[in-house]
Amino acid sequence: MSKLVKYFVFIIATGLLLYSSISLEPLDKHKIKQDKNIFSAKDLAANFMLNETSSLPAIDASDFLEGISKNVNEYCSSYGKKLGISSDYNFIIEGIGTVESVKEEDVLVSLVNSDKLQILIATDFIFGNTIRDASGIADIGDFQNTMDFNNISVELNNIVRETIVPSFKQKVKEGDTLYFKGAVEVNIKRVNLQKLRVIPLIVKFNN
Amino acid sequence: MKTPTKPIKPLNLILLLLVVVFTIFSCANKKEDAPKKIAVVISTLNNPWFVVLGESAAGRARELGYEATIFDSQNSTSKEAEHFENLIAAGYSAILFNPTDSEGSVSNVKRAKNAGIPTFCMDREVNSLDGPASQVISDSFSGCVELGEYFVRKLNKKGKYVELLGLVGDNNTWNRSKGFHSVVDYFPELIMVAQQSADFDRSKALEVLESVLQSNPDINAVFCGNDAMAMGAYQALVAAGKEKEVMVFGFDGADDVMNAIADKKIMATVMQSPKNIAKTAADLADEFINGKNDFSAKTPLEVELVTQENINEFGNYGSKK
Repeated sequence: MSKLVKYFVFIIATGLLLYSSISLEPLDKHKIKQDKNIFSAKDLAANFMLNETSSLPAIDASDFLEGISKNVNEYCSSYGKKLGISSDYNFIIEGIGTVESVKEEDVLVSLVNSDKLQILIATDFIFGNTIRDASGIADIGDFQNTMDFNNISVELNNIVRETIVPSFKQKVKEGDTLYFKGAVEVNIKRVNLQKLRVIPLIVKFNN
Repeated sequence: MKTPTKPIKPLNLILLLLVVVFTIFSCANKKEDAPKKIAVVISTLNNPWFVVLGESAAGRARELGYEATIFDSQNSTSKEAEHFENLIAAGYSAILFNPTDSEGSVSNVKRAKNAGIPTFCMDREVNSLDGPASQVISDSFSGCVELGEYFVRKLNKKGKYVELLGLVGDNNTWNRSKGFHSVVDYFPELIMVAQQSADFDRSKALEVLESVLQSNPDINAVFCGNDAMAMGAYQALVAAGKEKEVMVFGFDGADDVMNAIADKKIMATVMQSPKNIAKTAADLADEFINGKNDFSAKTPLEVELVTQENINEFGNYGSKK
């Protein structure tokens, strides 16, 4: 009889031990949990474009162009953002302009309330790290694998190409007045004010 | 029979003690005066770009007053591990490190860190943020975005091309490929007919492209993950009599490719300066040894697109004319 009790206690104890050391959950729920811990450049970019672009601090486009034309090195080192050791500086700028011409790869606008200042808004060849580096959305030092960091740029550019540019290109015509906010890159070794291109984050027509 | 020992005179005893003390102190001073040692561990010295990287790192370390030794890992993580064991035992003060594998080299870096020796990665990164003191890397992605845009314009947005990848375990391989494809894939009439690894190696690239050309004789361009492979690809095109109709694009800014661009044989490359990378890493190591320890985990260095149009502005390996 006492043997039977011993076996019974042993089985209960083993059962309790196993129950407390193993947890079962459906595979799909487990995968969702794992995915939450994996960095997603797509999610980060989507969240930024949806929730952060309108509140993103920006330099007035006229001030930017005047500053760059006066002393590019001083202006860039004071107000620009760059990645590591580089001569490429990035800025977020905004302004109101009148459309002068619509070209294959960009739209030329004259800035209102300025003395003949003009800038291009890109509608094609939207590549590179300008949005990521100008906005400061991420720090390379936080990424174990630099590819994850670079994927943020790929996703940001995809959103601009797929959501912002098509509707902009469809509506824009010469003489339109519009508000724009976007990212622009300046290389201090080869500055060409006529070729500066703003990658649009926000475009709103005033008319 | 025991021989009687003579008692030492007090004067002799004092002299003896003075000699012993003087010897000990002079030895200690000599150790302090000896220059500290910096190890330069390079993935392979079989590629001229890495030779320049290693020699520039060692040269800069010597300029800063250190004794510098170069170790060749021969593209083998086990050889690299052996070097780390030896230099930890030999009491080096810092390691300027060009890893063989972004994952496989992490344990070596951590072993050095545990032994109190800081590691500064050069050109290639390891997949660890807390292992190396800092990682000085080329901004390969940006360089290949710029190269990709040039590639698209040169091919008028259409054509067939081959991509030769570097070592698949190296993050640079994928950062370059990803940067290039982040541009080129957006143009649907640009079709990649083959993508194969040639391990950053010239003769392997020659073999791979020769084989690809047999099944795809009508390609318009070859994008190579480094200049050694670009030279191998060019050789394969010469052998097939197609060197004038197929454009070759490389990455590095190596001497032979810079000359080939000037001679209109290769279309373009991306200049990453091994001298700047090496100098930056050696300077950071010097700062660490002198007490600084709050470095950015990664320091990317800019790269520049070199084409047949702007080749006259450049010297080799990152020097500007």
